[in-house]
Amino acid sequence: MTTLGTAKAARAAKASKYQAPSTPPGAVRRLLSMRTTKAVGTNLVCFAIAAGLFALPLVYVLLQAFKTYTGFLQNPTGTPHPWTTESFSAAWHQGNFGREMINSLVYAVVPGTITLILGVFLAFPISRGYFRFSNGLYTFFIFSGFLPGGLIPLFIEARTLHLYNSMIGYLILTSLSGAGFFFFVGYIKGIPREIDEAAALDGCGYIRFIFTIIIPQMKPALATFGIFGFVAAWNNLILPLVMLSDSALWPVTRGLYSFFGEYSQNWPLIAAGTFIVAAPIMLLFVLLQRYLVEGVAGGAAFGTQGVSPGAGAGGAEVGGGS
Amino acid sequence: MARCPFGTQRTRRFIPWASIAIPGAGWLLFGLYPSLATIGYSFTRYSGLPGTPLNFCGMCNYHAAFTSLSDQLWSAVRVTLIYVVGVTVLQNAIGLGLALLLNRSGRSYTFYRALIFMPQIFSVTVVGAVFALMLDPYSGPAEKVVHGLFGTDSAFLGSSSLALPLVMLVNVWMFSGYSMLIYIAGLRNIPASVYEAAAMDGAGRFRTFRHVTWPLLASATTVNVFLTAMGTLGEYALILVLTGGNFGTKTLGLYMFQSAFGADSQLGYGSMLAMLQFVLTVVIGGGLLYTLRRREVAL
Repeated sequence: MTTLGTAKAARAAKASKYQAPSTPPGAVRRLLSMRTTKAVGTNLVCFAIAAGLFALPLVYVLLQAFKTYTGFLQNPTGTPHPWTTESFSAAWHQGNFGREMINSLVYAVVPGTITLILGVFLAFPISRGYFRFSNGLYTFFIFSGFLPGGLIPLFIEARTLHLYNSMIGYLILTSLSGAGFFFFVGYIKGIPREIDEAAALDGCGYIRFIFTIIIPQMKPALATFGIFGFVAAWNNLILPLVMLSDSALWPVTRGLYSFFGEYSQNWPLIAAGTFIVAAPIMLLFVLLQRYLVEGVAGGAAFGTQGVSPGAGAGGAEVGGGS
Repeated sequence: MARCPFGTQRTRRFIPWASIAIPGAGWLLFGLYPSLATIGYSFTRYSGLPGTPLNFCGMCNYHAAFTSLSDQLWSAVRVTLIYVVGVTVLQNAIGLGLALLLNRSGRSYTFYRALIFMPQIFSVTVVGAVFALMLDPYSGPAEKVVHGLFGTDSAFLGSSSLALPLVMLVNVWMFSGYSMLIYIAGLRNIPASVYEAAAMDGAGRFRTFRHVTWPLLASATTVNVFLTAMGTLGEYALILVLTGGNFGTKTLGLYMFQSAFGADSQLGYGSMLAMLQFVLTVVIGGGLLYTLRRREVAL
């Protein structure tokens, strides 16, 4: 009876939706057209801002990459006269971007994966309150993020431990930082602890439990942090600048930084190099645009919790299950 | 304290410790220790050359920074403050404007928002190269525009009066999409009924914004201002790429980086500057949180 009623209402709504625009009285029609003109105007303004202010610099630089050097010198700000892709191949070879691309991929993927897994192993017992001072430990972890920056001692330490100027060393250094762990603690609390006990009763081991039960449950959180971690690692300039002196070990960002100094004024070449470096991230952005943009909005919500009065209550909950 | 249900009677006490052993040790070694060691190194004249002693010298670096090298220090602090305040104000104003304009449904707006968000996913090297070309004093389009409008030449990033504002603008260009998204999230949290009530009371557009939207966005503003200020305070990679710290753009962070990893490699002096940067961060961050939270309550 009720389903029939709602179905009828839905049909009526659908019908009215279809009929309404087909026969509006004159005044309403005028109002509607005024509204559409205004909406189109706003849309155009927004397009002008997004395209003209935010996309244009990138498009302009991309255009330069299709010029020859002489073509650029003749007409620096115009469109390419003979369109050519030779700058791209020249930049690819002269900048060693092939090898650097592989380095970047290694530096972004390996620590990213290890950090996520270790982050879960660190967050799980703390989130479940298995330690006497889980709550205090968590607060301490968070506050340690506000200590002075440790780049200089990290450099000295890396040299003492022979992690300086080595790929393995760089990977060890970046893999063991435990990023994303704070967010995981909160997320794991959302996974009911009854699952733990049921699994343990069935004789499931701890490591197997983390990998087969907890990690699959955390897919959304892991995906968000994985993407952001990848982008951050790919884009990092300072750490490679400090830790890697041998150019064979450089990631693309570090390579581009030197390339940029080396070929200054040969703008088509630099523009091509810039786009070679930006291309993988651009591709990632096109594919995962939704997650990236939503991830920021989600992170913003998380940030709100962090500084609003709710934060104290949220922090106290960590050890609440004890 | 909850009991770990995994493992046998004998192993279950150790499983949680084993679980946090590797990431915990990594954090101690590469997270906590370097942070705390900065304090120690700031009292030394350590040069970083292999085999050289630590050269503990007490407050020598602090003393030098505030006496013989005080010009450099105060210039760096002044640039940092201008940079942080300018970027925070501008980026929030632009972010809010963009949010009000682009908080609409429809595919085209999703696309515009993505475009505006895009610059920040690129490396500072990429953004630096893009704007070095845009602002090139010989062949860049900005030169053409300025020459066409005023008939004068400008060195842009090579000019001591323009370099800092331009670097700030590039920073704002890169990150205003982020502020926009936080403001949009805030706008979407405002219930439609509040706007209906305002419309019933005959409030115009400006009054609605002034008395409804702005106060209800207070928490989004807090987050935005705090994150922008803290992020800008720690940012020096972009400045390094754009100007290398020349032409009056050397912030405290960049000063630290160049003292420690530049030609002099004064790691002790750099650590001292990192400590001063830390003090500045705590003072600005604490002050901002305090005032913003009070403002939120007052609104």
